[in-house]
Amino acid sequence: MEVLREKVEEEEEAEREEAAERAEWARMEKMMRPVEVRKEENTLKQETLRDLEKKLSEIQITVSAELPAFTKDTIDISKLPVSYKTNTPKEEHLLQVADNFSCQYSHLCPDRVPLFLHPLNECEVPKFVSTTLRPTLMPYPELYNWDSCAQFVSDFLTMVPLPDPLKPTIKKEEKVLPKKYTIKPPRDLCSRFEQEQEVKKQQEIRAQEKKRLREEEERLMEAEKAKPDALHGLRVHSWVLVLSGKREVPENFFIDPFTGHSYSTQDEHFLGIESLWNHKNYWINMQDCWNCCKDLIFDLGDPVRWEYMLLGTDKSQLSLTEEDDSGINDEDDVENLGKEDEDKSFDMPHSWVEQIEISPEAFETRCPNGKKVIQYKRAKLEKWAPYLNSNGLVSRLTTYEDLQCTNILEIKEWYQNREDMLELKHINKTTDLKTDYFKPGHPQALRVHSYKSMQPEMDRVIEFYETARVDGLMKREETPRTMTEYYQGRPDFLSYRHASFGPRVKKLTLSSAESNPRPIVKITERFFRNPAKPAEEDVAERVFLVAEERIQLRYHCREDHITASKREFLRRTEVDSKGNKIIMTPDMCISFEVEPMEHTKKLLYQYEAMMHLKREEKLSRHQVWESELEVLEILKLREEEEAAHTLTISIYDTKRNEKSKEYREAMERMMHEEHLRQVETQLDYLAPFLAQLPPGEKLTRWQAVRLKDECLSDFKQRLINKANLIQARFEKETQELQKKQQWYQENQVTLTPEDEDLYLSYCSQAMFRIRILEQRLNRHKELAPLKYLALEEKLYKDPRLGELQKIFA
Amino acid sequence: MNRPCNSMGPRVMDDDMLKLAVGDQGPQEEAGQLAKQEGILFKDVLSLQLDFRNILRIDNLWQFENLRKLQLDNNIIEKIEGLENLAHLVWLDLSFNNIETIEGLDTLVNLEDLSLFNNRISKIDSLDALVKLQVLSLGNNRIDNMMNIIYLRRFKCLRTLSLSRNPISEAEDYKMFICAYLPDLVYLDYRRIDDHTKKLAEAKHQYSIDELKHRENLMQAQLEDEQARREELEKHKTAFVEHLNGSFLFDSMYAEDSEGNKLSYLPGVGELLETYKDKFVIICVNIFEYGLKQQEKRKTELDTFSECVHEAIQENQEQGKRKIAKFEEKHLSSLSAIREESELRNIEKMILECSADISELFDALMTLEMQLVEQLEETINMFERNIVDMVGLFIENVQSLMAQCRDLENHHHEKLLEISISTLEKIVEGDLGEDLPNDLRALFVDKDTIVNAVGASHDIHLLKIDNREDELVTRINSWCTRLIDKIHKDEIMRNRKRVKEINQYIDHMQSELDNLECGDILD
Repeated sequence: MEVLREKVEEEEEAEREEAAERAEWARMEKMMRPVEVRKEENTLKQETLRDLEKKLSEIQITVSAELPAFTKDTIDISKLPVSYKTNTPKEEHLLQVADNFSCQYSHLCPDRVPLFLHPLNECEVPKFVSTTLRPTLMPYPELYNWDSCAQFVSDFLTMVPLPDPLKPTIKKEEKVLPKKYTIKPPRDLCSRFEQEQEVKKQQEIRAQEKKRLREEEERLMEAEKAKPDALHGLRVHSWVLVLSGKREVPENFFIDPFTGHSYSTQDEHFLGIESLWNHKNYWINMQDCWNCCKDLIFDLGDPVRWEYMLLGTDKSQLSLTEEDDSGINDEDDVENLGKEDEDKSFDMPHSWVEQIEISPEAFETRCPNGKKVIQYKRAKLEKWAPYLNSNGLVSRLTTYEDLQCTNILEIKEWYQNREDMLELKHINKTTDLKTDYFKPGHPQALRVHSYKSMQPEMDRVIEFYETARVDGLMKREETPRTMTEYYQGRPDFLSYRHASFGPRVKKLTLSSAESNPRPIVKITERFFRNPAKPAEEDVAERVFLVAEERIQLRYHCREDHITASKREFLRRTEVDSKGNKIIMTPDMCISFEVEPMEHTKKLLYQYEAMMHLKREEKLSRHQVWESELEVLEILKLREEEEAAHTLTISIYDTKRNEKSKEYREAMERMMHEEHLRQVETQLDYLAPFLAQLPPGEKLTRWQAVRLKDECLSDFKQRLINKANLIQARFEKETQELQKKQQWYQENQVTLTPEDEDLYLSYCSQAMFRIRILEQRLNRHKELAPLKYLALEEKLYKDPRLGELQKIFA
Repeated sequence: MNRPCNSMGPRVMDDDMLKLAVGDQGPQEEAGQLAKQEGILFKDVLSLQLDFRNILRIDNLWQFENLRKLQLDNNIIEKIEGLENLAHLVWLDLSFNNIETIEGLDTLVNLEDLSLFNNRISKIDSLDALVKLQVLSLGNNRIDNMMNIIYLRRFKCLRTLSLSRNPISEAEDYKMFICAYLPDLVYLDYRRIDDHTKKLAEAKHQYSIDELKHRENLMQAQLEDEQARREELEKHKTAFVEHLNGSFLFDSMYAEDSEGNKLSYLPGVGELLETYKDKFVIICVNIFEYGLKQQEKRKTELDTFSECVHEAIQENQEQGKRKIAKFEEKHLSSLSAIREESELRNIEKMILECSADISELFDALMTLEMQLVEQLEETINMFERNIVDMVGLFIENVQSLMAQCRDLENHHHEKLLEISISTLEKIVEGDLGEDLPNDLRALFVDKDTIVNAVGASHDIHLLKIDNREDELVTRINSWCTRLIDKIHKDEIMRNRKRVKEINQYIDHMQSELDNLECGDILD
């Protein structure tokens, strides 16, 4: 099947090295079934091993001559350390031992596949497999436990099929040495009985489901032509075996490097093991693998079951008892005896591999180039490193209807670090429904937004983080004709508002861009119970039938009642027979009161209630209108955000955060300048002159005076030189300019426009230079006497010239 | 007072004046027309303004039960009166009058804003009932004693105070004093008190304020103690065993018993009395504790019962509500269907259907209610049996304990009689005559006298015990009867209310349907 192109080295802390024997590298030369089948069963059987600790390793790409995909240009061999290109005497010795071992092995077991002992490394130097492992502790907590570590390795690895699925021609290895294990089995508080019942039920369901699925599957498979693997049992694979014992690992298990999943040693995908190795030793499996790995006993100290290559380097602690009757070995062969004697004095040499270093960037990137695609049956998972995609996309799961992956069922996209807090985008292709999920912090407090189109007044549901909103809005549902809003925690106890719209009226008069809101037909509002009011005065629901000019009120039900009061207002304004406006008549308000009250019978009361409701209706209509506007605003904002998809950068992310980078650089620059200034101030004017005098002696007055004069005259000279220099440059520039001007005047007629442009730009530059020089000269002239005086003052105060001071004092 | 002299004589607050004011100040415009049409009842009025009317005497306001705001400023009122019925009053303005003492405000517990500006008040008092007082205006009066401020400390809500142009506001220390003694005050004489002033004032008067506070705290603690004692006694009373946790009953036996007291001076009787008292008190305490325990038990029983009944009623109501909600949904849709229907025959059919629905709902609701009534009746009967049993048991046990008391008394009586007779004999022999007090000696005239005296004392004691027992039994029995009665009555009330409610609802529905019918036929 496949061979790994990369070499993964799994390293551990030095202190834990003696524990290395716990984790073994199993290599199987019979092989697993096709990948797809395996994927289905990706369940982690050993969740309890969660805390198994593991060291991960950087991945170095090995160049193999046979594989043109990884040619030498992927790795610069010249930069590799010497240990990669040569073998030390000890390693040579080891290789000889290995050869010898291999000879004996093939002699004793002629039927078995030759041993995988010393593949060529990227520099085409044979290296013993155990020495390719170097336990290293990495500074990332994620790499401390086996599960996340295995995930990291699997993310990095890419499967490329071998040219010959049967032979790992070149020796390529991948090593993971998980070593320490901690185990925190979650306490199981579930009832066993319930679980059993549950399982039974599930099984029944599953059985049915399976049957159904299988039938379908079979049908599909038929069409698909799932040809049986002709090479079943012959493919080669390498994986990681973790032995129980250290770090509280309760039982042995396998880790598949491609998926990062763990498998029980009983798993039937693993057909057998040829040999095992870690960084200390190499074992050959002497047990029969007729029943996959199910009957294997992983007691590496048992020489009958596991033939070791080096004696005494690490007796597995499991085997102490058997160690004693190590005589068994001797039964086999006399030849072995000699070999063993030889081996006894031999230790595994240190690894030739460089210590793995994973930079934080590389760690964050995880996959090569930060991108990885995993193909599942009817699904595709794509992963990207954060910040790789400018829109913050980090993974996308596409599910398909058919095995050929042509009809998309749904797409899920996960985002990270989005400024609009978008977390997940779910697109259902069959219903065309898109759902965006947001983390808290969106400027409009969005939580979920599901829609079919970004056009307003279409079907859509927007959920909000209601605590982040002033109006306590939780959810707003829209259909082309209605809008429903749900509220919580409002001081007016509003819980629900439903508005239905009528068809838009064509306005003939308004030609302006003025919005033309749809007419509202009906508004229904519901309220929670307000404990401060008696139930019969606390409105539970009010319905504004705008078109019919009718208002219906339903009150809350009193604690000990089953009916609630109701009231209906007809807001018709009519004129009576005499032409007077009818203000209020008893039939304009129909009420049903549970406990009839006197004051509500009054027209005045009813009139006031109606006036109040009229005002409320206006407000509610306004609210609905504002909600519509808000939807428009949200849609606009969402479109902008989608277009801009700005990413946020943590202020702690010094690499990406431009501002903090600038700031840091500015700080560094300032530090540097400050440093320079300090150096300058500390410049010792006297040093060159003092050096001429015998050291350690106190200066006499005469010497001091001379020293001072010399220093001053020297400084004066330097100032003059500087002035001269500036003057000279100034003159030179002036002369050149004059020459050029002369030349220009002479040739003005014949010049091309380009030359003229050139000339003009030269002139302006020259003029600039001249002006600057002039300025500098002037400034120098101004400052020179001051500087001179400053130096004199400084010298005067210099403690080394104390003599001078005395005199002048 | 420098008020413009009004040539008009004093006026009486009569009905006409009030009606006029109410009409003027009532609703305006359209609402006003309605109001006129219907007339306004005085008890619906919330606010009334009666200023500049030369009123001498507040009168005729008793109808304004719901009045919230009353303005009587700029009159010539001399006495605060006639405001007793205005219990909902929040705002009262009596400024610019001739009031001399604060009085007649004891029922205005909701008053928050009181203005007595420009009057002739010289002392702040009689405001104790006004616990919600927030604003008090007493400017331009004759308050001259700083101690009036301390009276204001009891108003925990008081935030605004005006005392300007009083004799005390002339005092040098005026502002500081008020700030110090009324630390919760925010506005004084129309100005906000800044924190700096507050701090200064506090520092200045710290010593006296601390002392005052200490006194107030003591008073407070005393009040609380009193309260706690009262509550304790109340609790004992509900257990019907008050005053039984000590020697109270025993002491009361001897309180009216002059012979017994006299006899206690006999040699040997002192010790006898001592042991008797100890034993007696032990039994009393037994009764007391038993009573409390029983009370607890009865309470638990009652609580469980009320809870169960409440739950049952709630459940029933929920069912009823659901039924009604379902019905209304259907009813509404059929009503609108009827409105839209034009075929008369169909309408009639639908209306029939509707009324069938209504009567079905009625049946369903009534069935529910009857079901509940039956269930509750059963429960109530069970509770009644239990509680009566409990009370009976309690009475029985208390009676047996009381019998023990009586036995003790009898025993004591015999002993006393013995001692008395032996003493009499001794006296007759002339042995110990001098040691006895004279009034006691007078009893030892002859045997009959002494036997009578001892017997009288004994009778008094027994009477006391009997009385206590009778009292206990009567009270617990009446409590029990009252409780049972109340439960039955409540249940009947509930049932009637529910039936009434259902009928009312059904009637309403039916009449709505009928109206629709009429309307349709008219159409």
